[in-house]
Amino acid sequence: MSAVAAQHASPRSAWRSRLNLGLLLLPASLVGLAMVCATVTMAWISTQSEGSQPTLEHYVRFFEDGYLIQAGIRTFHLSLMVSVICVLCGYPVAWYLVYSRSSYRYVAFIIVLSPLLVSIVVRALGWTILLGNEGVINQALQALGLTKGPVALMRSYWSVVAGMVHIFLPFMVLSIASTLGAIDPSLREAAALLGATPATSFRLVTLPLSLQGIAAGSVIVFCLSTGVFLTPLWLSRGHVSVLATVLKEQVVDASDWPAGATTAVLLTVSTLGLVALYNGLIRRFGEH
Amino acid sequence: MAAAPHARDLTGFLLRAFVGLVMLFLITPILVVIPSAFSDDVSVSFPPIGFSLKWFASAATTPGFLHGFGISAMVAAVATTISIVIGSLAAYALVRYRFPGRGLVELLLLTPLIVPSIVLAIALNMILGAMGLIGDISGLFVAHVILTLPYAVRVLAGSIRGIDVALEEASLVLGARPSQVGRLVILPMMAPGLLAASVFGFIMSFDEFTVSFFVAGPGVNTLPIALFNYVEINIDPTVSAVSTVLIILSVIAVAVIERTVGLARMLG
Repeated sequence: MSAVAAQHASPRSAWRSRLNLGLLLLPASLVGLAMVCATVTMAWISTQSEGSQPTLEHYVRFFEDGYLIQAGIRTFHLSLMVSVICVLCGYPVAWYLVYSRSSYRYVAFIIVLSPLLVSIVVRALGWTILLGNEGVINQALQALGLTKGPVALMRSYWSVVAGMVHIFLPFMVLSIASTLGAIDPSLREAAALLGATPATSFRLVTLPLSLQGIAAGSVIVFCLSTGVFLTPLWLSRGHVSVLATVLKEQVVDASDWPAGATTAVLLTVSTLGLVALYNGLIRRFGEH
Repeated sequence: MAAAPHARDLTGFLLRAFVGLVMLFLITPILVVIPSAFSDDVSVSFPPIGFSLKWFASAATTPGFLHGFGISAMVAAVATTISIVIGSLAAYALVRYRFPGRGLVELLLLTPLIVPSIVLAIALNMILGAMGLIGDISGLFVAHVILTLPYAVRVLAGSIRGIDVALEEASLVLGARPSQVGRLVILPMMAPGLLAASVFGFIMSFDEFTVSFFVAGPGVNTLPIALFNYVEINIDPTVSAVSTVLIILSVIAVAVIERTVGLARMLG
């Protein structure tokens, strides 16, 4: 023990320890810096135009374009909707995974994880088989005589919501389950001994303590939702445009880099801004 | 008094019913793909019409798919290896050292998790495009290291946190050199975390779509992009056959993780 203590004390080893720290962090920091460079370059491109002076004209153009504004509103509307549905569906599932003693619990756990392990393209194909014009749901509706012709289930806002909830629900369940699992069971026992009904103990003990998991889960789901592009593109067949699909049109189809960079900067700033606002609200709510 | 247990039974039943519905929602879109791969018909539908294995043959002979599979596997292997090596070093530093700027480094390493993936894709498209690396496999390597590193650091940091510092100190006291401590003490104890991070990183990279779409180009399309391009032109059960093979590979991966480290642990 003394040898270790002595080693830590000597100035030469303190220097060496700093060198070690630098070497350990260097490669990862380079990767991080590469990403920062890419983002800064993108922001710089958004201010470029024919003239040599940096300009904000692309930002002005964005806010004057009704199509882009609508896509922006739809992006955040959709992401918010997906986050709320994920909380509502994810909380009971997380509860079941943590507290159930059923033998099906393990099966449920595997099923919750399964979407994480299957390619997003495979899942989009699955939704096509279910929701397409000759899909399972349309066949069922017609067999039951509820509709005469096929209903356009794809190409709609709700098909995109369903596809996105399917992708992001596992993140929410895992986030909530990890906080539920960390709650000391004796707290609920104490509440029950003091005469609280299960509902009261849920409202006053479990829910406040699991709020952190809901908050973390919704931030993850929200951020992932604003950036997803295959699901809206595929499930809506171009009928539901969000900023991610707009970016494909601007950068890949039209090769308009400054316009694309502008949209990307605005998407990043508003996503991070909303997350910061939400975190602030959660912290204030948590204090009461 | 009689009403209380009754009410509790009802809540329990409703909870189980709701969870059952959510499970159905999660698993159906995945399972429904499998039967359509065995259809005898050209339409991708459920229930399948007839039975044949011809779509698997078609999948194996469609050049884009085999090539895409190779590219995806190579990119996933290279990117995961790099992230695991870099990530272990960084995770060790973050767990064992207290230093000014630690929070900043942590933030830098975790940013790809909060920046929308499409933005990362566009930014990489522009910077790699300026460097002439779009459609070059090294562009994909860079992109996938950036994407998998945050997860690697998270899983590995959890694994290192579980190692008692006393063991490292004891081996130093007993005369081991720092490199020996790393090789003989820390690495073996990190083995489950390393395996979990590798499998998780590999799957993530293999399935990645958004960033690859903007970074890959003709000649180096990954499998998900090859599938997407194929479907843009025509949908037939060839895609279902490829998907079925991917689902089977995922099941094998899950079984391997479960046998070796346990799924719960893999997710940190």
